Amino acid sequence: MMRLGALIPRGDRRLLVCYVLLVLFSLALLWSVTEPLRGSYSLMRVDVPKVVFWRQLLWAIVSWLAVNVVSRIPIRHLENLSWLAYLATLVLLVAVLAIGPEVAGSRRWLAVGALRLQPSEFAKVGVVLLLATWLARRVDSGSRIMATLGSLVLAIVPAVLVLREPDLGTSLVFLAVWLGMIFWYGISGLLLMTALSSAASAVIMFYSERVAAQAWPWAVYIVLIIGVLFLVRLSMSVSVLVLFSNIAAGLGIPLLWARMKPYQQERILTFFDPTRDEMGTGYQAIQSKVAIGSGGLFGTHYLEGTQKGLAFLPERHTDFIFSVAGEELGLLGAGTMLVLFLLLVGRAVDVATTVRRPFASLLAIGVAAYFTFHVVVNVAITTGLLPVTGLPLPLVSYGGSNLLVSSLMVGLLLNLSGHRYDD
Amino acid sequence: MEFKEAQPVRGRIFRSLALLLFGILLLNLFGLMVIRHEYYRDRALKNRQVQFRVAAPRGRITDRDGIPLADNRFHSDITIPASTFSGGAPDSTLQRLLTWFDLPLESTLEDLENQRRRGKARVTLVRGATMGQLMAVEERRPSLPGVRVESRLRRRYLQGPLLAHVIGYTGEVDQDDLDTAPPDLDYRVGDSIGKQGVESAFELRLRGRSGMKLEEINASGRIVGRESVWLRPVLPGRDVALSLSLPLQQTMDSLLAGRRGCGVAMAIPSGEVLAAVSSPSFDPNLMTAAISTDDWRALSEDPAKPFFNRIVQATYPPASLYKAITSLAGLHKSVVDTHSVLEPCPGGFQFGNRWFRCWRRGGHGVLDHADALANSCDVFYYQLGLRLEIDELATAARSFGLGRAVTGIYPEEAPGNIPTAEWYDRRFGPRKWTRGVLLNNAIGQGEVLVTPLQMALLVARIASDGAVPGPTFVMGQTPHEGPVDLPFSSRHMAWIRSALRQVVDDGTGGAAQAAGVPVAGKTGTAQNPHGEDHAWFMCYAPAEAPTVAVAVVLENAGHGGSEAAPVAGAWLHDYFVRAGLVIPEPELEEQP
Repeated sequence: MMRLGALIPRGDRRLLVCYVLLVLFSLALLWSVTEPLRGSYSLMRVDVPKVVFWRQLLWAIVSWLAVNVVSRIPIRHLENLSWLAYLATLVLLVAVLAIGPEVAGSRRWLAVGALRLQPSEFAKVGVVLLLATWLARRVDSGSRIMATLGSLVLAIVPAVLVLREPDLGTSLVFLAVWLGMIFWYGISGLLLMTALSSAASAVIMFYSERVAAQAWPWAVYIVLIIGVLFLVRLSMSVSVLVLFSNIAAGLGIPLLWARMKPYQQERILTFFDPTRDEMGTGYQAIQSKVAIGSGGLFGTHYLEGTQKGLAFLPERHTDFIFSVAGEELGLLGAGTMLVLFLLLVGRAVDVATTVRRPFASLLAIGVAAYFTFHVVVNVAITTGLLPVTGLPLPLVSYGGSNLLVSSLMVGLLLNLSGHRYDD
Repeated sequence: MEFKEAQPVRGRIFRSLALLLFGILLLNLFGLMVIRHEYYRDRALKNRQVQFRVAAPRGRITDRDGIPLADNRFHSDITIPASTFSGGAPDSTLQRLLTWFDLPLESTLEDLENQRRRGKARVTLVRGATMGQLMAVEERRPSLPGVRVESRLRRRYLQGPLLAHVIGYTGEVDQDDLDTAPPDLDYRVGDSIGKQGVESAFELRLRGRSGMKLEEINASGRIVGRESVWLRPVLPGRDVALSLSLPLQQTMDSLLAGRRGCGVAMAIPSGEVLAAVSSPSFDPNLMTAAISTDDWRALSEDPAKPFFNRIVQATYPPASLYKAITSLAGLHKSVVDTHSVLEPCPGGFQFGNRWFRCWRRGGHGVLDHADALANSCDVFYYQLGLRLEIDELATAARSFGLGRAVTGIYPEEAPGNIPTAEWYDRRFGPRKWTRGVLLNNAIGQGEVLVTPLQMALLVARIASDGAVPGPTFVMGQTPHEGPVDLPFSSRHMAWIRSALRQVVDDGTGGAAQAAGVPVAGKTGTAQNPHGEDHAWFMCYAPAEAPTVAVAVVLENAGHGGSEAAPVAGAWLHDYFVRAGLVIPEPELEEQP
């Protein structure tokens, strides 16, 4: 007789509980999204069909098995598999651009029989694994700059491929994961400052060009940078490099802007001024805030949210599922979900600080960065803190690929949590 | 190991950063869900709750016996949001509709643009859609976002042109109406409002009050709530019963068919108008929808002026009808008595250096007062007129209700003109006119002007010693003026009544004997500088116990006795047959 324990993944129990609860939240919310509204409403067609729930239930079972398997694989094998995993996902990313069917102007899926897979999701696992491998080999030896730039290239290649689908939100995930892991690896302060000042340069340039329509704010900023560089007395070559990076980032913005799709430009402009397009791009953000805000402390009641039930809330089974939680379960339910995610991230950081092998440590922090970025950005979008871009809430949004990949990430953590003090 | 050593610090930094970010999210959630909760709850409510205004059905208009003359019928329009053709180009939805319904692109877009300019958020693509068009829209509804079928009540005039001038018509509220109507009446663009006639005068009674309904909708605007909440119930408009009788109106209309003129009949002593026809007429059903340019041009440029309400708006010289007043004024001022014989009529009368003709060129010879009225001898009245002051004649005329508006409900009503010395002073200057005007005034020519309705009122008041109030067109309507106190003695009134009877029995009004009961009346032939004379006739019947008064005018028709009197006689015949006082005899019907 097979032991019942074989059906339960090994590893940290608290982490497992967080994972299971979040998936149950997901299934409960998807059931609600696919139910007609109760109460004094005439029966109407629900435009998110019930099959959405059943499919996700199937994926949840598959994911459970996957977590089970991943939680038991010896870590050494994972390290050895990382290049293979990375290259395989790159092939899939190229394939999706070549043969993926175009849906609403973008190519994001590969059809395998009845399955629709999203290679960009699997690429996240590939990148986390390979970056952990790449950086772990360069811990405490070799050039930090080389490790940093090399890992950046490894992250940027899939990011650029995904950006071409186009899928801006997902491509940023690779950079976020890279940033988290390079921080853990130990980035040079100079490089960090260069990166941050360049990012500031880009934002100020955007402000100058699109909002203020005057060049001087950016010019003042560059003059300020020159002054600071002069004061801190860095070597001439480093100063020139920092300045060049700042100017390049600033000048790159208009070029990047010109290459953006009109709908992306519109979203960013609308983010700066939501009243700009209340029935268009701003509609999603406004309806989402209305859904969440109307939930109040305890929510409208499960199955009874009208923003959800009367279809005012867009993408309510995918990117905006958190708004459904806010509307029907209130601050109590939505807050509980956020706390579960925070606990999950906290456990990941625990694992990262306690495991001994650098690879395991970096892997754990990669998973932590993945969940932090995904959850923070998704929730910030649904609550109007960031411009709308397609990014699912991991473990909760509808979508098999995302659930499976997020589960694999959790599986990796469970695995590592069982090896705290290995070699 | 440097990497290992840095981990606790970096772990704290990472954890702090995650805590900070999640903390911001939670704080923001708290702000949305607790602090601003009520605002967002209201927004969610406003998302799904829509107030619908439900127009009140307009009251019906019936005849005096309750036969419907104007009612409402459902009328389905296909409407689209004005945004579907922003920038002058139709979107794909509108494009499909244009193709299915085979609508001309340019003129349709122009019409839609005009509606939008009037401030409508939704514009009407098809008015009065056919069943086929409605089915086409219903079947493909999911692929037609924003397209709606809107059913509204539209006015229908069951008798078409028959009562156009009395009832008037409704039309869409225009900017003028919106500016002038009191705000509590809540008129909106697209509402109907009475534009003319009884529809306009009794607007408040007919329109009722619109209701307000709260409905729940989903994101695509479909009503999904099972129950609607009435914020304010609909108050349907109340019916209005005209004093007119449909069959009597039809009789008058058929008698005037193809002719230009007017026939009015009024009950004695109530003053209720029983029939009032202005010919030619127009179909008021054309006016309730947007009338086509061609129809409008045809009607407004028609030389017969179908829009002209001859009942109250047209003024004519009363001609010989006025002699009844001249006689009464003479008797009242004692310048003649009932048997006076004046200079004989040689066919004309010399006044100063001008020869005033009698209508009978050969002359009437010697006539007494009654004969002069019966034969309408102008020469007798020239002499009588000269014995009066112009103001004495005017006062007598005004005592019957002439020279002023008498209905109070038709803004287009003309007062007519009863000249006085002051009026002539103003018109020609003091002493710039002579007593010669009296000759014209005495025979109802010159500057004297009256409406057909005023003539019906005149003869009704002669018949009733002034007991008839101002004419009413609606049952229960308060007359604009009450009965009048006539200054004339009852002996003089009795005499004028017997003289008027003599006009019909053996004078110029013999054609009115067709009524089948004794009739008293007066013919008139108004000289018209622009063409043929207008034919007049006024009368009441039965002569001994009057119940009804009639006035008929036929433009450019010739003699009152031969043209207008038969119309009144035939109408009276029908009236008394219906009243059971006259048994129709076949040979009477066949008389020419």
